[in-house]
Amino acid sequence: MNPAAWTGLALGIVFGFALQRGRFCMNSAFRDIIVLKEYTLLKTVGLAILVQMVGFAIMTLTGIVTLNPKPLFWGANIVGGLIFGVGMVLAGGCASGVTYRVGEGMVGAMVAVAGFGLAGLMSAMGVLNPIVKYLQDTTKVVVGESASPTVFNLLGISYTGAVLIIVIITAVVWVIARGKGDDEEAVTGTLSEKIFKRGWGWATTGIVIGLIGIAAYPLSAAAGRNYPLGITGGWINIWQTLIVPEKVFSWEGLEVLGIIIGAAIAALIAGEFALRAPAPKVILQTFLGGFLMAFGAVASSGCNIGHVLSGVPMLSIGSILGSVSIILGAWIAAYFMFVRPMNAADN
Amino acid sequence: MSVITPDKKIDERGKICPYPDVDTMTALKKMNKGEVLEVIVDYPMSIERIPRSAKKWGHKVLTSEPMEGTDHRFLIEVQGLK
Repeated sequence: MNPAAWTGLALGIVFGFALQRGRFCMNSAFRDIIVLKEYTLLKTVGLAILVQMVGFAIMTLTGIVTLNPKPLFWGANIVGGLIFGVGMVLAGGCASGVTYRVGEGMVGAMVAVAGFGLAGLMSAMGVLNPIVKYLQDTTKVVVGESASPTVFNLLGISYTGAVLIIVIITAVVWVIARGKGDDEEAVTGTLSEKIFKRGWGWATTGIVIGLIGIAAYPLSAAAGRNYPLGITGGWINIWQTLIVPEKVFSWEGLEVLGIIIGAAIAALIAGEFALRAPAPKVILQTFLGGFLMAFGAVASSGCNIGHVLSGVPMLSIGSILGSVSIILGAWIAAYFMFVRPMNAADN
Repeated sequence: MSVITPDKKIDERGKICPYPDVDTMTALKKMNKGEVLEVIVDYPMSIERIPRSAKKWGHKVLTSEPMEGTDHRFLIEVQGLK
């Protein structure tokens, strides 16, 4: 096994700890825009993307990493993203969400990752693979010879230039909009209580996750995988390693295992670890959700981490389209599952 | 301290987000002004968010107390506009 892959485990543990403490859940971030009119987690996601953008730009300029934006295959990005979004709401968590909740002792999440692994294998190399290949091959778009379309190469500017413009625009919008949003209550207690016992504030979580994403890039590249954080490929690798004797853990596979360990450590320290099982009907629903998510992620070539957290900062058009489709899919499912029943209570 | 008797109880243990949040908000909507809802929940994120959402919707959180293990109990008085 490649010794450089072990940094994936160490980084995954830190990532899992941060995910659990920060309650970093993109399913909630996207779903609750329409269900509960909650925007706190959405701000966290936005901040993490921004922090990574700046980090990636610096690392590209200094030659530490080579930018590797995901390809655009619009049909696969849209169909896969929508299916992923629906699956995420059914599963009660995004790809990273169900992964870290395994470490919290959530039985529903364990069932979801089982469905995720099964559909991941079926889509990447099994019976569902022809559908994935068809969607990707028939709708692939490249810039020039073979480059993945990005915001900056379509505009004909540099990555650093594009990042600079986005950071300035965000800063201006932030200053204008400041004070309009709802402020969260300040987290109280000593420093160690704040880190280990309480849930982190949105800004802390966003910055920490962003920094972890920056650290992930060169570490993963050193192991031969030129991409920052990911989940889907990691789960597929874990299941392959368990089934196929000659397969070994990859950087991403170890990162996923690390997330579970890190989240378990965080939950145990905070007294939030417990084996909790939902009703049988919900278990079935989470399995189906996990299954749909993995098919969607493989088709779209990215989950909420590969596309939203890692791909959007690289300004890949495929990742942006995949992310928008994930959000739309989540809204469609959340409308039928939560918004309509809640509104029905009015009458 | 006087003991408050809730008018309605919901047990959300074992459910993960958003069910505890959505069930709480739906229950509050169905109740009348002045009535008290008891919510028992063990999902960490919902423990943090239920009081925030309840306040946002105009209801009053009377008590918020940890119980045995990972369980948490809320008493919420309906005040929001229907």
